[in-house]
Amino acid sequence: MKLLTCPMNGPRNIDEFQSFGPVRARPDPNATADPEWSRHLFRAENRQGVVVEWWRHVPSNYFFLAERDLVSNEIIRTFDASEPRGRA
Amino acid sequence: MAAGTATRIYPFMPGGAADGIKLVSGAVVLSDLTASPRFGLKGCGSAAWLAAQGIPLPAVNRIGKHHGMQVLRLGNEDILLLAEGVGETLAEVKTAWHAATAPKGYSSWREEGWAWLRLSGPRLAEAMNGLCALDLRPEKFGPDDIAQTRVGHIEAVTFRSPAGFDILFDITASAYFARSVAAVATHIDQHNA
Repeated sequence: MKLLTCPMNGPRNIDEFQSFGPVRARPDPNATADPEWSRHLFRAENRQGVVVEWWRHVPSNYFFLAERDLVSNEIIRTFDASEPRGRA
Repeated sequence: MAAGTATRIYPFMPGGAADGIKLVSGAVVLSDLTASPRFGLKGCGSAAWLAAQGIPLPAVNRIGKHHGMQVLRLGNEDILLLAEGVGETLAEVKTAWHAATAPKGYSSWREEGWAWLRLSGPRLAEAMNGLCALDLRPEKFGPDDIAQTRVGHIEAVTFRSPAGFDILFDITASAYFARSVAAVATHIDQHNA
């Protein structure tokens, strides 16, 4: 069983969680050309390194952030969205 | 039903969606408290409004008490009042909330959206072991603790009651949950026969 530690509820089975993808900067609607919008909306990054992602603990409907190593799939830390994001 | 009357039919009642589904009794006992009074507030202003009424709010995932009611803090701004046997006290809170001006949070409709079942019986610990992956032993999970997790494969809120464990979950899963508990109870009976 893979565990993920929810900042509010503690360690739980991974199937209690839903992933909402990486934290990304939102393009400025007034200064973004169509190709950039297209890239933002439809292309996913495929890089190595550490990503900060949105996750949701489904039973409590609590959204939080997790740092995950994209190569080893290790969850480095999880934290509340009000905390500093560091690498985001 | 006569026009103008507002009688709620809960799933296990005659005519309800889970009418005819048997609640297990014996080594594992499942009882239905869904018709018991409760009131949930959610969203910005919920905690402040309740605190202003003199209702002490516990930490998140903990249970407090107020005039016989249980105060379940499910999130910073997600609070549920359970009023088993003290419906009048809860009715006063609801009346005050309806009369209040915003910000006061919004009703999370827990009295309609959630089922409230109680699991008890001499084989309770084994039953919960089969239904929930969490360590719910008394030394790890006290009477004031709340677990928001999965019970019987569905998202649920569970906590200790004097008789056993209370479980709150999506009311539309009532029949499914009763069958899940029945399956676990049958398994326990077979292994202890």
